[in-house]
Amino acid sequence: MKIGRKRKAKAEIPTSSMSDIAFLLIVFFMATTKFDVKEGIRIVLPQAATEGTEQTQSLTLTENEMTRLQITEDGKLAINKEAPREIESGELDMLIQQKLKLNQQMIFKVITDREAKYNDMIRVVDRLKAANIEKISLSTN
Amino acid sequence: MANIQKERNREAVIPTSSMSDIAFLLLLFFMVSTVFVQEKKFWVERDRWPIAESIERVPRNHTTTVYVMRDETILIDDIATRIESSEDVFVSSTLIRKKEEDPELIVCFRTDKETKYGVMSDVLRQLQDAQTLVVAFETNKRAD
Repeated sequence: MKIGRKRKAKAEIPTSSMSDIAFLLIVFFMATTKFDVKEGIRIVLPQAATEGTEQTQSLTLTENEMTRLQITEDGKLAINKEAPREIESGELDMLIQQKLKLNQQMIFKVITDREAKYNDMIRVVDRLKAANIEKISLSTN
Repeated sequence: MANIQKERNREAVIPTSSMSDIAFLLLLFFMVSTVFVQEKKFWVERDRWPIAESIERVPRNHTTTVYVMRDETILIDDIATRIESSEDVFVSSTLIRKKEEDPELIVCFRTDKETKYGVMSDVLRQLQDAQTLVVAFETNKRAD
């Protein structure tokens, strides 16, 4: 009787579907990745003033040194001692430029009413930032 | 007479053996560049943010996000709080801890545009107490 020799089967790992698996994983990451880019208006707050310490210093500034932009409850804007009125962004840009002509180092103090909307404050600060003003003070009444 | 041989049609083959290498490289890129946000929920949706023009990018590796909702709820790391009196110091105490961990901390506000400014003023006051002075008010960019 003739007995045939058994051929040894070669051990192989099939890798043809490897790229399919990798692409499936890519699709998963691409679908779940959410690009959370942070963009916004950047402000550096002043140090907290503590009464009675050396840090507190009272200064009297004139209208030529500081412009008060007061935002009322209903979103109107009062510049210095003027009566509050609705001011469009274009007009506000013009007024800021006028103040800067008086003094390039002008400080702008944005006084927002506690009942006013956050959006109104952002609108004013945005226009100030657009005019490259760095000396912005935020306060409330 | 010359013997003219018939040209055999060569089979066009695209080598696909390096396909998995490319795929894994792409996979590695996505795995490395993916940052998992700490907050479980986007408490104030983007369409509720104000619109501004002069915005700048904030380096996200030194930031912490503070959500301020329309109902005056403040959220830091998914923990909700309110500021109703001067004794509510959760915001400042949390930020003091965060500032110790990262001295270059930037506080990013995601505030609903309809929120009353009073609550924002209280939060900013607590930020000053915590010496976290660099803030960014996150906004949507105005479409030209």
